Amino acid sequence: MTLLSGEPHVITVGADLLGEALDAQAVPRTAVDWRPPLPGTSAALARVLADPRRAAANERAVGRLTSARPQLVGVRPAGEVLGLAPGTFLHAGPPITWERASGPMRGALIGAMLFEGLASDPADAADRLAAGRATLEPCHHHRTVGPMAGVVSPSMWMFEVDDAEHGGTAYCSLNEGLGKVLRYGAYGPEVLARLRWMGEVLGPALAAALRLTGPLDLRALIAQALQMGDELHNRNRAATSLLVRELAPAVVDAAPAHAAEVLRFVNGNDHFFLNPAMAAGKVSTDAARNIPGSSLVVAMARNGTDFGVQVSGLGDRWFTGPAGVPDGLYLGAYGPADANPDIGDSTITETSGLGGFAMAAAPAIVRFVGGEVSDAITATRSMYEITLAEHPAYQIPGLGFRGTPVGIDVTLVARTGVLPVVNTGIAGRVAGTGQVGAGLVSPPAEAFVAALNALAD
Amino acid sequence: MTLGTQRRALPRTHVTGAASSAVRPALESPRRPARVLATFPLCVYLEIRTEQEPTTIAVITGDATRLPNSLLTSGALPQVTVGDDASVGDGSVELGRQSLRARRWWDPAPALPPVELVRLAESATRLTACAGRSPGLAGNGAIALLAEGCAAGSLVRAVTAAEQLVGLGPGLTPSGDDVLAGLLLALRHLGAAARVGRAVWLADWLAATVTFDARTRTTPISATLLHCAARGEASPEVTAVLRALAESRPPEPALGRLARLGHTSGADLTQGLRIGVASVLALGEAA
Amino acid sequence: MAVRTGVYHDSVSLMRVSSALSELAGVEVAIVAMATKLNLGLARDLGFELPPADPSDLLVAVRADDVDAATGELDRLLGALSSRQVAESADYPPRTTRSAARRGGASVVLVSVPGEYAFAEAADAIEAGLDVMVFSDNVPLEQEVRLKELAAERGVLVMGPDCGTAVIGGAGLGFANVLRPGPVGVVAASGTGAQQVTSLLDLAGVGVSHVLGVGSRDLSAEVGGRSTTAALRMLDEDPATELIVLVSKPPSEETARAVREVVEKLRTPVVTALLGTGGPDLTAAAEAALRALGREAPRWPSWPRPAVSGRLRGLYSGGTLCTEARIIAGGGEFVDYGDDAYTRGRAHPMIDPTLRLEALASAEPGDVVLMDVVLGHGAEADPAARLAPAIAAAGVPVVIALIGTEGDPQGLRRQAEALYAAGASVFTSNAEAARHVGTPTDKRGRS
Repeated sequence: MTLLSGEPHVITVGADLLGEALDAQAVPRTAVDWRPPLPGTSAALARVLADPRRAAANERAVGRLTSARPQLVGVRPAGEVLGLAPGTFLHAGPPITWERASGPMRGALIGAMLFEGLASDPADAADRLAAGRATLEPCHHHRTVGPMAGVVSPSMWMFEVDDAEHGGTAYCSLNEGLGKVLRYGAYGPEVLARLRWMGEVLGPALAAALRLTGPLDLRALIAQALQMGDELHNRNRAATSLLVRELAPAVVDAAPAHAAEVLRFVNGNDHFFLNPAMAAGKVSTDAARNIPGSSLVVAMARNGTDFGVQVSGLGDRWFTGPAGVPDGLYLGAYGPADANPDIGDSTITETSGLGGFAMAAAPAIVRFVGGEVSDAITATRSMYEITLAEHPAYQIPGLGFRGTPVGIDVTLVARTGVLPVVNTGIAGRVAGTGQVGAGLVSPPAEAFVAALNALAD
Repeated sequence: MTLGTQRRALPRTHVTGAASSAVRPALESPRRPARVLATFPLCVYLEIRTEQEPTTIAVITGDATRLPNSLLTSGALPQVTVGDDASVGDGSVELGRQSLRARRWWDPAPALPPVELVRLAESATRLTACAGRSPGLAGNGAIALLAEGCAAGSLVRAVTAAEQLVGLGPGLTPSGDDVLAGLLLALRHLGAAARVGRAVWLADWLAATVTFDARTRTTPISATLLHCAARGEASPEVTAVLRALAESRPPEPALGRLARLGHTSGADLTQGLRIGVASVLALGEAA
Repeated sequence: MAVRTGVYHDSVSLMRVSSALSELAGVEVAIVAMATKLNLGLARDLGFELPPADPSDLLVAVRADDVDAATGELDRLLGALSSRQVAESADYPPRTTRSAARRGGASVVLVSVPGEYAFAEAADAIEAGLDVMVFSDNVPLEQEVRLKELAAERGVLVMGPDCGTAVIGGAGLGFANVLRPGPVGVVAASGTGAQQVTSLLDLAGVGVSHVLGVGSRDLSAEVGGRSTTAALRMLDEDPATELIVLVSKPPSEETARAVREVVEKLRTPVVTALLGTGGPDLTAAAEAALRALGREAPRWPSWPRPAVSGRLRGLYSGGTLCTEARIIAGGGEFVDYGDDAYTRGRAHPMIDPTLRLEALASAEPGDVVLMDVVLGHGAEADPAARLAPAIAAAGVPVVIALIGTEGDPQGLRRQAEALYAAGASVFTSNAEAARHVGTPTDKRGRS
């Protein structure tokens, strides 16, 4: 009986004339800034929105996503945990062939061939890859995510993250640091030497330390880092510090001989926590997969050529569009002409309510991604328009401890035309260049439209 | 020097809004002069030169309390000061440079759904338990006499107490008036909802008493609000408490909003409501 | 020395507050900080006696000549911190009804986006538990049924689609007249039908509690009167409503039976105006409502000229008014310019009179033109301004049904006088206007 008692407060959506008529009567109202949906989506929208399963399916899907309790339980070699056969490589984004692969993706694959001893030199590696002598599969098909090129080969060591709530597991490689690194497509001797050290020293030391500490609560750690100015995609400084604080004593106990170099390496890399954060995002979004009728996005990923999304109600199908070139700041003398199109699985952070979606938490990096503090707040606010929930644990102090926007709904993207805000690093387009900058990127609308159309079928 | 000193007549701005139907007679009468009695950030009080109630109108904006004698403008309040001339009638309020008209009318005396006395008695216990600012006349003997007289259905004692209370206390709406307004509203509305005819009868007599010489005994604003209460007209904060009682819903949220009215107005109105509810119950059980 | 609980500010803000306090004249020392072990130690070192506190409490330690003044200033500084936080949280405009509803406070949603997009916004409202009026037309029938199924599950009311009129507690949504509050509740499958009935009641001095539109198709067999029955039940529960008037075009037989069953169970009396069933016209329904309230029906205001006859042409903006006039007149050529066929891609004739003015201009000698002019919220600001000269120029008799109240923005009397002065006969009752078009010599219109 709220309608018929008391003064009405009206939400108006549509004709201004009718809203103004209410204003003239001094009726309190909230006006929706409505615009037509993305072109060509109205019929599909009507069908998807009328699906009787949708509301409950989305509630369940986003409920699983936000209730996941990711915990870092171990560090193990990819060959062991993923059952990767020699000659099989995982990569970021939706499926890709060598022919369509971009510079940094090719560079990383060449580096992985060399690292695994499957080629004698870069040219040989490229020839073998071109000849189809390696099997390429998306990380996402193997409960795994990888930043930038995201190339995973059997000898690389992985973070292992369990979901203590729903029981899933997800993996992500160890972060190599900045500069010339494999994930940006560099494959020089220093890159391969570092990877070998990571396999021989870093991985085993972290594994031994985690055995001493027991599982590490990543949900709590991420929640704290958000309140310390990280958004967990382009800024992981606080989270990395917190991780070191948790692990350092155990590293010393477990691997006294290597403790100093291990801790020095982790400390020297502000992005070290990005990879556990990605695995945490992956295990959380995987909990929301395969709920019939749900229009929730469970993965956004780029392979340097295509930007792909996966949707809970649509199984493992990918819906893609061309990856865009990020807009941002460039290192040194690099400029937009040196930039590769968007690449990496790190958009799993945005998919799980972090990264660009939590931009308002990280005023320190807004200039790095080309804006003012108010732009960061606007970016986060705009994401509430396309998400189904506010994260119960991940909160933004600057927004009065409001939960981060989480759970992208393809119907809301189509209705508003508001695309997910993605923070990202920028890879050089020539294989082996490495990172050239960082900035913001917009996903291609057609990926979301294609997913919506599939839901309507 | 050729600069003129003559003031140019500035055109009036037409502004629309909503109004309580209690002010409809004043707006629809032929135009009469009025003056600004008081100004607040969200409210301007006007006094109309007339013998006919309402003699004061509250022009309000934004989230101001929807007093039963108010006109809510959709725009900002005009810039005026106390003593400024205004006029009311022929469908509009002319105030400052604005001409205000109502495009919506609300009922300041909405009926309540029927309620059983037993259920009302249960809800009433929650009225007394509510803490808040203490009423302006806490401990006053006339209040006790009013409560006792009303509950006993004694018109003599109730009227005697009411006469002592009209205009008693400081402020725009003296505490005594607020208590009486709360009492009148509870007696009339809950009396009707619980079908306690004696309570409505008492409300009629008390209303006649307090309105008889209100204009000489209290402030003009308070006099108009007493006249409104006498007819069962209230602000939504009061109505919400009455509605919660009649619908057997927890009254605490509504009481909380009522408590925030004015300095002690909310507490005084609540005290009046409490006396009224107790009287309806006592008179209903006696019948 | 005090400890405040439930207050949190970041340390930098509190350091600023501390230093601002310390600079006040007469303040010897001031510490305002969260009550961490470190800060408590600091205060102890300065000679303060410490009450029990934990780190989530705010510690205030002031030594000053006038402690009350310092505390007052502290409250002002802390208040400024809080209000700054509020100011910075100014909102991003909502892009969907869902987002607007999440912000809270709303009681009803008014959807007027193009029909093909209306479902999404209306579904948002229902999922948020809000009643919704869908003004939009051209909404597919199966979407209407789905919306009303959803609404039944959530216990909310869908008014529409193609609902032109609602009045909720005096607030007019869509096309509605300025009505006084009163005892009559209206459920209407016809917007202009409801406007006629409520305007006449207002002219008779009787107000309405609420007007709940249900949409033009609600009483069809496919929709089954879902909103009509829901609206009837809502008004039956409303203590302000003493009498219900149900206004509709003829319902399907099955739906009529279902509605009748609901009506019979209501405690509130119901006056029904079902057009075209030989039942009462809208004016008669308004009069029946007045009688049910123990009131006399007045003579409805009119500005007549001598009755005329000729080939009757009805140029209407309201569908129900058009139907009513055609039935009463018993013949003639009637066009409803408010029909979907005329409004796709153009404004409703109540807002944009162009099509009807063209039709009026094309009237031929021997024609008699019957039109409705509907006043109220949302309608043209001054319909007589364009219509009066067109009437004068038309050179044929014009009879006008003027639907509105004196409180309407356009002013009933002002409009009536302008139209009458231009040569038209003006009636506030559409039925009376239709009866005024004379004892016809030829009511068949032009073939």
